[in-house]
Amino acid sequence: MLARMEISLESLARTAALAGFAWTDAELDAIRPAVQRLLESLGELERLDLGAAEPTTQYRVL
Amino acid sequence: MADLGRMIATKQVSPVEVVRVHLDRIAALDRTLRAFITVCADRALASARAAEADLMAGKAIGPLHGVPWAPKDLYSTKGVRTTGGSKILADSVPGDDATVVARLARAGAILLGKLNMHEFAYGPEGINAHYGDTRNPWDVDAHRIAGGSSSGSGAAVAAGLAPGSLGSDTGGSIRIPASLCGITGLKPTYGRVSRAGVLPLAWSMDHVGPMTRSARDCALMLGPIAGYDPADPTTSVLPVPDYGAALTGDVKGLRVGLLRAHFTDAAASDVRAAVEAAAKALEGAGAVVDEVSLTHVAHVATATAAIVASEALAYHAPWMRSRSQDYQPDVRERLRIGAFVTGAHYVRSQQVRALVTREVDDALARRDVLLAPATPLPAPALGERETTLGDGPSDVRAALLRCTRPFNFSGHPACAAPCGFTAAGLPIGLQVVGRPFDEATVLRVVDAYQRITDWHTRRPAAA
Repeated sequence: MLARMEISLESLARTAALAGFAWTDAELDAIRPAVQRLLESLGELERLDLGAAEPTTQYRVL
Repeated sequence: MADLGRMIATKQVSPVEVVRVHLDRIAALDRTLRAFITVCADRALASARAAEADLMAGKAIGPLHGVPWAPKDLYSTKGVRTTGGSKILADSVPGDDATVVARLARAGAILLGKLNMHEFAYGPEGINAHYGDTRNPWDVDAHRIAGGSSSGSGAAVAAGLAPGSLGSDTGGSIRIPASLCGITGLKPTYGRVSRAGVLPLAWSMDHVGPMTRSARDCALMLGPIAGYDPADPTTSVLPVPDYGAALTGDVKGLRVGLLRAHFTDAAASDVRAAVEAAAKALEGAGAVVDEVSLTHVAHVATATAAIVASEALAYHAPWMRSRSQDYQPDVRERLRIGAFVTGAHYVRSQQVRALVTREVDDALARRDVLLAPATPLPAPALGERETTLGDGPSDVRAALLRCTRPFNFSGHPACAAPCGFTAAGLPIGLQVVGRPFDEATVLRVVDAYQRITDWHTRRPAAA
């Protein structure tokens, strides 16, 4: 389970750089609240009991 | 479209007259509505003359012969620019047609032009900083959104600028504008219709389908475009049924589940009342209606956000590195968020997807279709950010997507159709969800409903 934490601009910049994006602090600051909300929501998914559900990337194709 | 096709086939009107009337309407109304990005007047008239000559020579192709239509501007069209609603692709002219565009051309349909959309289909509002924000024809003065991302399709069909369109739907982008603009829009089952030659937003969530004024017209467009396509490995080899023949008007004994929690119960009061009335109308026509709730849908918003953000950024990464300033601000920000979703998040979200899909399958094991609002609110004003639903305040964007994206996640076919109007005269949309590859029953239910109601026949004053 992911612990709740405030995301710093520095960590956003580092993650973006690892993915090859050179975004400015102002650009990263603009998305910080949305990233924070999404990561917190994804943390809630971690707490779900999904049993043996295997991931599916698309609907069955016949 | 069916009526136009019949009138053309019986030579009551010529394809040239029909195309001219639509071009005249576009010239008169689209400066306000901003539904079109590109109008192909000369090409459409040339096609219409050819269709007329074929007709007079006894070489009619079928029910779409000479009938005009216009796709959302993310379908590749040979020789006609395909912008995706973007600045980045403003001058992109494909060398080939998308599979479905070619199929409609072979069926005799005539391309009028290309329709406006939320940039790169990444937004349910249908706003566009490059080509103008499409206005909802039901309230032009207040500038309400047409809904997106297929905003131009919704507005053009509602206002009579085109009798039919093809939209695309990743979280509701066919059904949301259909709901807000008072038309009928079908998202087929994942794999039913080829996406080859259609700009992607998120490959595992993208669907393409018809947007028209009735279930009958959706059936007419779906027939030619459905079916296996070697250019799209996700298409099914299942045979394509005669969708028109399925429209019997009979729903006696059909089992209909009204989706309660998260869907109908969460809608604004006038939407909830209209959807409940639609369920009653179907019951009155002989359907057996019960109520059902899906418990896992609460997690759909998070899981789909992670999946769409990841897949969308994967597609856009090269441009996000070299031309990020050329995106409109909201789309650029959504794409950036994808950089912070991990592989583990993506896989976890796909596990949730399996769970939700199974739950929808279970609900449909005992029922033929499910009913829900298409959108839990009518068309908001441009720039409106907060709204109040039946279960409290909500961000407008989340509210628009709430009832539709569970079925992008699960892949089930779903159709939006008008089921009433608010006191302010704005359309309210019903959603009918069916079993995988059973578009025929979905369209049969919507058609039966449209035979006993007249909501789908109403036209905005702007039209």
